[in-house]
Parts: sequence; C-alpha cells; structure tokens
Amino acid sequence: MGEPIGTAMDSLTAALKSKIIPNQEYFLQGSVMDTAVQVLLHRLRGLCDNLDSGAESFHDHEMCFSIRKGPPPEQGLSLRVRRAFDYLDAPWQLRYIGQPEIGDKSQPTMVRSSLDIACSSTIVEFLTELGCRLDFECILRGYMFRKGRMKITVSKVFKMVQGKTPDGMEAISQSYLVELSVLAPSGQNAIAEDIKIFADQLKPLVQFEKINYFTRPH
Amino acid sequence: MAYSVNISVEAPIENEIQEITFDGQEIYKTPPTLSEHLTKIAQKIDFGKTNDEENAKDPTENCEKVDEDNKDPANFQSPNWPWESLRNKLREAYTELCVLADVLAIAKDKRYLVLDPMPRDSTETSKPLVQINAKKKALGLVASILTTGTERMKVNLNEQARTRSPDFHIELLRLRQNWRLKKVGNAIIGDLSYRTAGSKFSQSGMFEITKAEDDEKPVTSPSESPNPNAVVPSNKNVSALRVTIPPELEGIAYIEVLCKKDQEALSSANITWLNSGSGNTIDPDTHWQQKLEAAQNVLFCKELFSQLAREAVQSTSPIPHMVVGNRIMATILPGIQLIIILRHSTGGEKKPVPQNTDHDHVLEHSLHQLLREVHYKNTHHTFPHPSSAPLGPSKRRCLAGPTAADRHELVEMTKSQTLLEQIIQQAQHAFMRLRIGYVLDTLAKEVKDPLIVSHWTCYNSPTQSSVKINLVTHGYDQLSKTSMILHIYEKSLKCICKDGRVMNLSYEPQELRDLIMYQIYQHQISTVQGLAKCMGWQVLGNSNGLGLGPVELLGNASSCILASPNGDRIISMRCEPQFGIAVSIAHSPRKDFFPGQLVKERKWENLGGSFKEVRWDKMEGKNFINKVEMLMASLTSS
Repeated sequence: MGEPIGTAMDSLTAALKSKIIPNQEYFLQGSVMDTAVQVLLHRLRGLCDNLDSGAESFHDHEMCFSIRKGPPPEQGLSLRVRRAFDYLDAPWQLRYIGQPEIGDKSQPTMVRSSLDIACSSTIVEFLTELGCRLDFECILRGYMFRKGRMKITVSKVFKMVQGKTPDGMEAISQSYLVELSVLAPSGQNAIAEDIKIFADQLKPLVQFEKINYFTRPH
Repeated sequence: MAYSVNISVEAPIENEIQEITFDGQEIYKTPPTLSEHLTKIAQKIDFGKTNDEENAKDPTENCEKVDEDNKDPANFQSPNWPWESLRNKLREAYTELCVLADVLAIAKDKRYLVLDPMPRDSTETSKPLVQINAKKKALGLVASILTTGTERMKVNLNEQARTRSPDFHIELLRLRQNWRLKKVGNAIIGDLSYRTAGSKFSQSGMFEITKAEDDEKPVTSPSESPNPNAVVPSNKNVSALRVTIPPELEGIAYIEVLCKKDQEALSSANITWLNSGSGNTIDPDTHWQQKLEAAQNVLFCKELFSQLAREAVQSTSPIPHMVVGNRIMATILPGIQLIIILRHSTGGEKKPVPQNTDHDHVLEHSLHQLLREVHYKNTHHTFPHPSSAPLGPSKRRCLAGPTAADRHELVEMTKSQTLLEQIIQQAQHAFMRLRIGYVLDTLAKEVKDPLIVSHWTCYNSPTQSSVKINLVTHGYDQLSKTSMILHIYEKSLKCICKDGRVMNLSYEPQELRDLIMYQIYQHQISTVQGLAKCMGWQVLGNSNGLGLGPVELLGNASSCILASPNGDRIISMRCEPQFGIAVSIAHSPRKDFFPGQLVKERKWENLGGSFKEVRWDKMEGKNFINKVEMLMASLTSS
C-alpha cells in the first residue's frame, strides 16, 4: 500500500527490458484449397498434441480499426478487435500487430510485434470515441491446433455483408488460410526454427513462404 | 478220355516176396499191419503241395513253400522212426503259420509293410526293355514322392524355427507401436518417461534396444558353434529384442500408504521394512513389454514420491511433515499419522514381500490418480477464444482483465492444492469415515431403544460423504421417526437435525456421541407426544430444554406433561441424557378424600394433586413407548 504510484509502469518497463513479455509473434502463413483442406486437417490431427477430443473449431468476428495522425500518405495505427461467436462469455480481444519483418534468408520465419489484451464488449465504443474508424471487418471460421507452444489455425475468411445476418456471409476466396504462430519474448530464434520444421512437414499440402501479404500501396 | 479202357487195379493177393533163398524158397514179406500201412500212407502226404494249392495267392508263402519242397527229400531219406517225417513236416508247417501270422499282423498295421496283389503274368510276358522302362518309371515315382516329402518337412522345420526365434524387425515394429523410439547413430534408443504425457520429472527414462542373439550366444554356447537347436529349446519365448533399461529403473516399485495410530506401530513398521527391501524381482528373460512397463512404473513411482517429498519439505503446516529417506510422515489428525513409503526392489534375491495388511490401496490409487491429473493438466490446455488470444492462460485469467479482478482474486487464482495436501485430506476423510462408522455402530449396539439405523450413501467424493441416521422405536415406526443427515468432511462434521438446526462438530468422536444421545431423548419425548395424540390424551406442555432439575452435562433434559382424555390423570415425564427417564403420575381428584386442616372440601382436589413416581423398570412393555402406552391404557381404564 505504501508503494509509490508509478510501480505498475515501472514494473512493465522492467519486464520489457528483461524480455519476459511475449510480445513477438513468429509466424508463417500459407493457404490451402477448399478441396484439400480435409487432407490437411487429417495431417494436422496426426501431428499436433492432444486431439483425443477432436479438433477445436472456432468462429470469430474480427474488426479492424485504424486511427491516423495525419493526411493519407501517413501510415495509420491499426487495431484489431476480435470476438468469438461460439463462446459468448469469452472476453473480446484487442490486438495490435506491427509490421512484419521478413528478414533475410537466414531467418526461417517472419516476425512481428504483437500485443494482446482481453477486454469487454465496450471496446468498440471506446475505440470509436477515441477517433478510430472501422477499416473492415470479417468473419473467420475454422479449426485450431496446438503443438507445444505453437498455434496452428486453419481458417476460412468470410466477407461481412452489411445488413445481413452472420449466416448470410460469403467467402472471400476458395481457399483456407493456414497460419503457424508462436508468441514469444523477442530474441528467441530457436522457436522460429521449430516453426520452419513443422511447416516442412506440411510441405506438399501447404507452401509456407515469407511473403508479406499485408503491404499495400497507400 | 473217349478211348479210355477200364482197367481195374487191385493189390495182389500174394504177399510181396522179400527174398528167395538158394533152395528156391520164397520168403514173403509179412503184410504190413494196419498201423504200418497208415504210416506208409501218411508219409506220402505232401503237406507242402496241398498248402500250395490252397494259398496260391500268398506270394511270400509260396516262395517259402518252394524252399521247403527242396528240403523235403533230405528228410525222407533218413527216417529214424516211423512218424518222424510227418512230425517234421507238421513242425515246419507250424513255423510257417507262425511266420505268416506275424507277417499278417505287421501287414495289418500298414506301417512297415504293404501287401499288393502280385501281377502274375507281367514278369513272364514283358520283355526286358519294357521291364526296365517300368522299373525306371516306378523308381522315378518313388523319388518324386520322397522329394515332396522332404520338401514338406523342410518347410515345417523352417516355420518352427521362425516361430521360435522371432524376427528382430517384426519385434521392433511391435515395440515401436507402443513405445517412443529413435535412432541415434547405430543404436536404437527408446524413451519410457511420461514426458510426452505431461510429466516434468527430470530423470530420464532412456532405454536401449539391441538384437538379442548377439548377447545370447556367448552365454549359452561358449564354444561359439552356431547351434541354433541348443538355444531355442532352452527358453520358449525368446525374443529377438533385448531391452536394456537404466539400473535405477530396474526392479519393481510401488508406493505404500499407511495410516498409523501411534508411535509404537511406527517403530515396528520400521523393522519389517528393513528386510522387505527386495520385492518380486523381474526375471532376466521377461518379455520386453513387461520389462518396460515395470520400468515405467518405477519411474512413475519415483516421480510421485519426489513430488510428494518436495511438497512435504516446502509445506508450512502446524506440525511439520517429516521426510526421512524414502518415507514421508505427516500428521493428519492428533495421534494419527499418514506414512507414504517408496518401495523399490532391485536386488536379485527372491524373497516374498511381507504383505503389510495396513497398506491402504485406495489411497495409493488416489495418489497415482492425482499425479496423472497433474500430467493431464500439463498437456491439456484450453484453447483460447477468440482464436487470436494467446495460448496458455486459463479462461479465468483471461476474464480477469475485463472484469477488473482485484489482487485478492488473482492471488486466489494462483493457489492450488499440492498433491500432499490433497492426499492428506483424503486420508483425513477416510479416517473420519471409519471413525464415524465405528461410533454409529457401537451406539447402535449399546442403545436398543430406540433403534439407530444409519444409511451410508454409496456415492461419495474422496473428501466428502454423508450418512443419514434414523431413530425409530421398534413397533412404532409409523408414529414418529427422527432423522439426521451427517456430512463428513476432512476434519469436521456437519449434522442437520430434524428440526433444521445445523450443528458443526469437530473430529472428536465424543461430540457426535453426545449429539446422538441428546437426539435419542428428544426422539422419545416427541414419540410420546405422537402416541398421546393417538390415544386421545392431551399434551399439556412440553419442553425440549427444561431448565429445571440438576445441571446436565450434555444439553438439557426434555420433558412433557400429558393429561388423560377425561382429565383426571396426569402423566409427567422427564428425559435426560445422563439419568435416563423419570415418569410420574398424578390423580385428581383422588378417589378417596379426607378433609383436612387446609383442604376442607373435595372440589379443591380438581386443582391437581401431588405426583408419584412410577417405578419404570417394573413396568410391562418391550420399550419405552410400549411402556408408556401400557401406562396410558391402565390409567384410562381405571
């Protein structure tokens, strides 16, 4: 009780300095056609941990907000809000994702900074009040797996059609997005190697390449 | 025979001349006597010939007969006495028959000898070239039969050899189906630890797999002569695999759990333990599956024990737990100790383990279950929702932010019970359950009126169970029943009485005893009131906590006063746990009235008179209620 007010901020910076906060996301992305997704799921079922109860499915709604400091040429700060349709009592997630670093050939995976905060449903209001603008929204539906610390998601992205119920959504493409990711404190390159090895095991089905899908000309 | 002439042949009448002397006298042979004649004729019988004709089909005999015929003349030439030749012939015939019988007996078996009909004419008719051809053919046939036979036997032998010494690779495949293996250089290394199942125990469970033949041959046949027959029959289930497990995982281990009452028992347990160090050791020829399973069990027990020992040292309980060597001692209730011992036998000596009868199998099983739960929780994390949330934190922790959990809640989240705490709680509960059962049983034995019936629930958790106690009077079950529910926890009891009062009791059995004794007298009074209603008596008053009379040790006395239907009789009774039941009756008005100094008129008698105590032990009746019923009946009628 007698401690100074600044403790929380101090301990946060201390934690950042000592690199115990998992704020780096090592990831690889790829895609698989709808026709082959069953084969991929079957493969993942064999490779991943604890699938005695079957693969975990998810059904999420993602909204991307952005806030700009200046006129259009300047890159805005984008924040993503996600909620689960199938687990209504689960908290919403606010997420900041930084620009992915592709790195040189020696880097097996891409790295981006990532911060996750669980929050309540009032986050949308809060962000709008802050001056954020809704960039886009989409629905992701698919399956989740885990292998050690690695999270593997196989998801289909659907467009949100305005004025329609979530059932009336249309798929963006005829393929599934496959993502391998590990959240870790910065500087743990051994994990990247693990991801690469795992990605190689899915080789003929999914080609994971270090392509920045997010860079768009502004 | 058309030209045949009938010629009559007859023996000459004259006797044969034997000799003619020089004077011309003829000496006649004396005609043979009848027996001489018979001998002569008999000599002429050719036994061989007749046999030959009859048994022409038997070729072997035929040959023999021919041989005999050749011998016969020799026999004819020197007859020493009249019947000799006949006797010889008969004997030969007998010998032949014996031989024939033997041959037939052998031929009947069809194992060594087969009789075939003899082609009679072929040998005579066929030319030599054809004969040779036929012979060649027959020999070829025989050769092919023999070769197929040997082939079949070879295949059989090979198969037998294969089943006896199984293929290394097939065995390896089977091993691989159940165990984790990897190849390091030329060696095959397996891992039997529970690490993939969520264990974080540091000791490794590496084992090595080698081909069994390489090590076995020098042992069984030092002369290095490759003699597979010498190895194979020695032990029937020889495996092609040899599994080498680290020495610290060899043998058999188990965790022994004991609940001891006092120190004396402890020391005696110590002595028995010292020489029970060896358990059932594993035979070196055991199948690898059993070997690996045993080693895995050893590893599991070691992990369990080290976890418990660590917790015992770290825990801050009022009475510190003791860890000595491979035993942990923890006081669960005053005077009662829980002892957990890791028993591991590696020695080669084969001594039967002195079975400790106090060993608690249920608690041992719970210990295993608790560690498996820990393992399960280590690997089975809940998936985050939405999917972008990080893996790891539990759902409660994810919600802690949005719901603004305070420090206290967060601290509560981090708290978890250690294995030792959990097993101590289970042991406490198990002990409490035993104790309560004993108290209830002895009370039911001591107290016959009313009857104490206890119903235990058959489903209970390891740390909670409940029992329902019913008090009924025999013969008056429908009239009144007092029931209680007793919840048994780890160190306390909760009793919910009939009137809804909740009593929290400690682990001391005397408290429960007192409570039930108190309930018994309550039951008696309430049953009497129920009986009074049936009998038409009036309850004038009752009290469950009577403040009068001597001070009770356990609760207050309960009492009630009943009035007969016409109001002239009053029964008063007082039940107290310590002194039992006292019943008094009063008559008003009394039948006989004598006016005295103070009470001059009879009408004052209606106010009620003095009570007289009933000698209760002299009353008729099976139990208290029965006696009260008799009393009421007698008072109503008179």
